[in-house]
Amino acid sequence: MATVEERVKAVTARVLRLSSDEINMDDSFTADLGAESVQSIELVAMFEEEFGIEMDEDAALAVETVGAAVEFITNVCKEQGISIE
Amino acid sequence: MRLILIDNSPEIRCKFSPLALGRPLWELRCGMTSLEEKFVAKINPNDVAYFVPDYMADFYRTRVKKPVNDVTVLAGDDLILVDPLVKVEDLKVPAQAASKIALDEQGRLLYARISKGDIERRPADTIEKFTASARESVPNVTCKLRKWNYIWDLVLANAELITADFAAAGQRGIEGTIEQPVAIRGSKKDIYVAPRARVHPMVTIDAENGPVYVDEGAEIQPFSRIEGPCYIGKEATLLGAKCREGNTIGPFCRIGGEVEASIIHGYSNKYHDGFIGHSYIGEWVNLGALTTNSDLKNDYSDVSVSLDGRQFIDTGSTKVGSLVGDHVKTSIGTLLNTGSYLGAMAIVMATGKPLPKFIPSFAWFVEGIVTKGFGKTRLYETAKMAMSRRGCEWSAAERAMWDAVFEATAPARNKAIKKGRRTLLA
Repeated sequence: MATVEERVKAVTARVLRLSSDEINMDDSFTADLGAESVQSIELVAMFEEEFGIEMDEDAALAVETVGAAVEFITNVCKEQGISIE
Repeated sequence: MRLILIDNSPEIRCKFSPLALGRPLWELRCGMTSLEEKFVAKINPNDVAYFVPDYMADFYRTRVKKPVNDVTVLAGDDLILVDPLVKVEDLKVPAQAASKIALDEQGRLLYARISKGDIERRPADTIEKFTASARESVPNVTCKLRKWNYIWDLVLANAELITADFAAAGQRGIEGTIEQPVAIRGSKKDIYVAPRARVHPMVTIDAENGPVYVDEGAEIQPFSRIEGPCYIGKEATLLGAKCREGNTIGPFCRIGGEVEASIIHGYSNKYHDGFIGHSYIGEWVNLGALTTNSDLKNDYSDVSVSLDGRQFIDTGSTKVGSLVGDHVKTSIGTLLNTGSYLGAMAIVMATGKPLPKFIPSFAWFVEGIVTKGFGKTRLYETAKMAMSRRGCEWSAAERAMWDAVFEATAPARNKAIKKGRRTLLA
């Protein structure tokens, strides 16, 4: 199974129309990767679909970087009993 | 005599969705007044008490400052209990009469007159137990009174009721300010401009086909045209609007562009160009510039509406526009299909095409699909901000009511969100 980091980057690349190679853990979704507010909504939706989880919108939308998203999603998966790696 | 208004049937309430989500049925408007105001005018009670669904009781108490869901009001006076959906013109209530319960053919209470003496023999701890007990010992009669069946019925009858309410109000003439040149067509006895209302120059008021009532403090800006029957509510503003026949514009609304045969509750804005016709718009709605709805199908067939995202109901009318719940916000250029339903608190963004006919409450309709968007908290923050701009408070009780609505509307919304996700993944 691909790692959480690989899967987060793959979803991000698909939604923001980037290459996964262009995405780093320190990148801010908005400042570095150019995500607009509408795309933030789509990112949350696609992360939920990719991992089979439900995320609290306020908490999810407060996540700013790719690395923080990896950590956040990892924690949510553990809380919701979703196997990740 | 005390008037008791009862709104406690979920299967009836849903037919008045989305407007009934945040208010009891008697708060709905048709003509110049609400359904409650019509009953009060007809019955002239000493006071009024209310029985509403539990989830809105605390909020409604803060709104009316009268007894809500309080069974103590069922003692101490003669009572008249009324189904708020009975058409008031069919209700005949003599000043003095014996106790009686009037039921429709399905056995549902239409109204009940219960004298004080009969009540004291029949204490109850809920309104349901009270009415059940009364049915057993007070004479029952079956009768046919016309009722409002669906939310769009109010829209379709609006012009007629504006005319009736204007006659009942008995006010004529100009008590506000009219700045010339203003063109008045029709008879001046069909026009009333209330104190503090201001009509700017270059306005046309056309009462040839029905009366026009401009209520206190309203402002009619230049190049507005008002065709009767029409009611402009207190402190409302028309900004160069084409206000066609049959409109009820609620208090503190700001209306521009073209509006026809629609009911708009208070504090809603349709500031800019765009057409709204045969629609029912709730409170605190903001329709972005060029928001436009269709109210007539290209083939002139009857319009169908979905109130729950599953079944479509044939309205029996060729002219039905949009049903827009409280606190909805539409983006610029939003196009609404004939017979559209926008649930309360929905955020709707244009796609360049007519949108789906059903958008659930609390949905964020973005990029052509229903999403969770930025969530409920952000919607409440927007509601609080919009209300504070007009000096109104977003209270804890109001928030609790909308929390209950959020939960109740979750199934339809979650289904739409899943459908949207499938589109994204395809």
